Amino acid sequence: MFLDLTEEQKLIQETARNFARSELEPLAAKLDREGDRPAFLANLKKLAELGFMGLNVQGEYGGSEAGVVAFSVAMTEIARACASTAVTVSVNNMVCEVIQAIGSQEQKEKYIPRICSGAYAAGSFALTETGAGSDPAGMTTTALLDGDSWVLNGSKIFITSAPYAGVFVVWAVTDREAPKGKGISCFLVEQGTPGLVIGKQEEKTGQHASATNELVFDNCRIPKDALMGKLNDGFRIAVAELGGGRIGIGSLALGVGLAAMDYATRYSAERVQFGQKISSFQAIQWKIADSYTELEAARLLLMNAAFRKESGRPFAKEASMAKLFATEAANRACYDAVQMLGGYGYTADFPVERYARDVRITSIYEGTSEIQRLIIAREILKNLS
Amino acid sequence: MKILVCIKQVPDMESRFRPNGEKTWYDESDLAFRMNEYDEYAVEQAVQLKEQLGGEPEITVLSIGPERTVEAIKKALAMGGDRAVHIRDDRYYQKDPWQIASMIASYAKGEGFDLIFTGMQSQDRGSAQVGVIVAELLGVSCATTLVGFSYDGGTITVKRELEGGIKGVAKLKLPALVTCQLGLNTPRYPTLPNIMKAKKKEIASLTAAELTGEAELTATAAIYPPAKKGGGLVLEGEIGAQVDRLMGILKEKTAVLR
Repeated sequence: MFLDLTEEQKLIQETARNFARSELEPLAAKLDREGDRPAFLANLKKLAELGFMGLNVQGEYGGSEAGVVAFSVAMTEIARACASTAVTVSVNNMVCEVIQAIGSQEQKEKYIPRICSGAYAAGSFALTETGAGSDPAGMTTTALLDGDSWVLNGSKIFITSAPYAGVFVVWAVTDREAPKGKGISCFLVEQGTPGLVIGKQEEKTGQHASATNELVFDNCRIPKDALMGKLNDGFRIAVAELGGGRIGIGSLALGVGLAAMDYATRYSAERVQFGQKISSFQAIQWKIADSYTELEAARLLLMNAAFRKESGRPFAKEASMAKLFATEAANRACYDAVQMLGGYGYTADFPVERYARDVRITSIYEGTSEIQRLIIAREILKNLS
Repeated sequence: MKILVCIKQVPDMESRFRPNGEKTWYDESDLAFRMNEYDEYAVEQAVQLKEQLGGEPEITVLSIGPERTVEAIKKALAMGGDRAVHIRDDRYYQKDPWQIASMIASYAKGEGFDLIFTGMQSQDRGSAQVGVIVAELLGVSCATTLVGFSYDGGTITVKRELEGGIKGVAKLKLPALVTCQLGLNTPRYPTLPNIMKAKKKEIASLTAAELTGEAELTATAAIYPPAKKGGGLVLEGEIGAQVDRLMGILKEKTAVLR
């Protein structure tokens, strides 16, 4: 058994860390408070040029061919500095991977290089609807064939990167008579298509720089060949691709948790109360010990899930376990980090309140913790029936 | 044109250092390693020159050290080096600058390099001697502590950082060796596709024993942390005199008032 990263993975981690420290971290607080979309997008472009948008994508489409473990460690390093940037990178990678997995040759050649190179600032993954969150098969957006086009009607919600995405992977019902989950297909819709309306931007608790919007399809007409993958087979694909996304979000949460605990631990070694550094109190030491133990366990779960995916083995259960544990551990670490800073932890003069807000969504998006538990239990119990 | 870049892998400088068991070096067991910062400027300048000349020059990267050194070598290859030579030596830290330089010169002698880039010094040992000794052994011209570099038709023009904030400009004919200082350039991040492609570049492996039989000229007697000092210098007396005193210290010991 060998638990070390390869030389290439270490170099990718170092590159991500150096870039995050010099380019992302100095901007993160400003992006959170007042926003600066041009600066946010400029950093995404630089990350694309370095090869971070298609880590697990083939070179012929502009990807880096670096694998899933490298994707995970890169996400963690980026998230240590800026969770908004990290979630955008995670979704871009997921969009590239889904197109690579099921797109036609033409679709792959057209869209993947644009995301990998940064020609598109982002790609979007449009699955969730107001009435279809944890239950995506309950979606009601429809796509009906009309001559040489599909016509989309309905709406999506919580769509990451919608205002600046170049292309959307959209799921819609194509057979209303089919049993639930069996009549859903997947489409590629380009930004600017008439009838595709970018709706209201959500005012979120955290991850402010990453735009999250409603999408409305108002008789949105797309070419017949915008269908991706097999007709009526889209739901299975969505579920499969979310597994990879979960590794990304778990890795992101780990990065935020580490950033918070690193900050709070250094603070505790300087802050004096009752005539001594607060790190000398057992109450603080236990928070440090518990948080780092949980974050290390999260890292190992993530590495295991990433390694399984990279090796072509089933990884749905492991990805859900890693996502569940990492996001909850990171939430606890951020909670404790605020506690360790006391009142200062609740002010914007210190970064831990931002970490605590940024991390909160990680146990909700890309499948809530509750859904992850359902998946894990289902995967375990299916071997008994 | 043939270019050689000499690099060293050093510990991350944020590490906590402790002397090793023999008290002749630091304990390496729990340290993270990376490319020596000054060597990154050397690699970057070599790659910029290669780009200026339309990709014609071949850049060879050389490093001496144990197995882990390959990671730093691969970074240099990912930044734009073409091939590498790894001189394997687990006891590299017992060798003084003379022995290290002798190994490099012994390798470089038959290779006909037109230009050799090194860092100004390593961040761990910090002797700043290896580059100049290599130049001397090869009989090529040499300029140190570069903060500016340009190449035109067989001649390089360099800006050197001298003591006290003064700069000097020198012109050198090739072959030459230069050592690179902070401020020369901004090293590029290696792109991920280039990191993956560096896997396929040649890394020739030599052993230290093949390259030198030189004895050390300087032996390390002991390595130890500095004794803990009190809380710095406290100025006392009349406020005007204190200010004069502070100005004097800043002028003498730092560059902030220049």
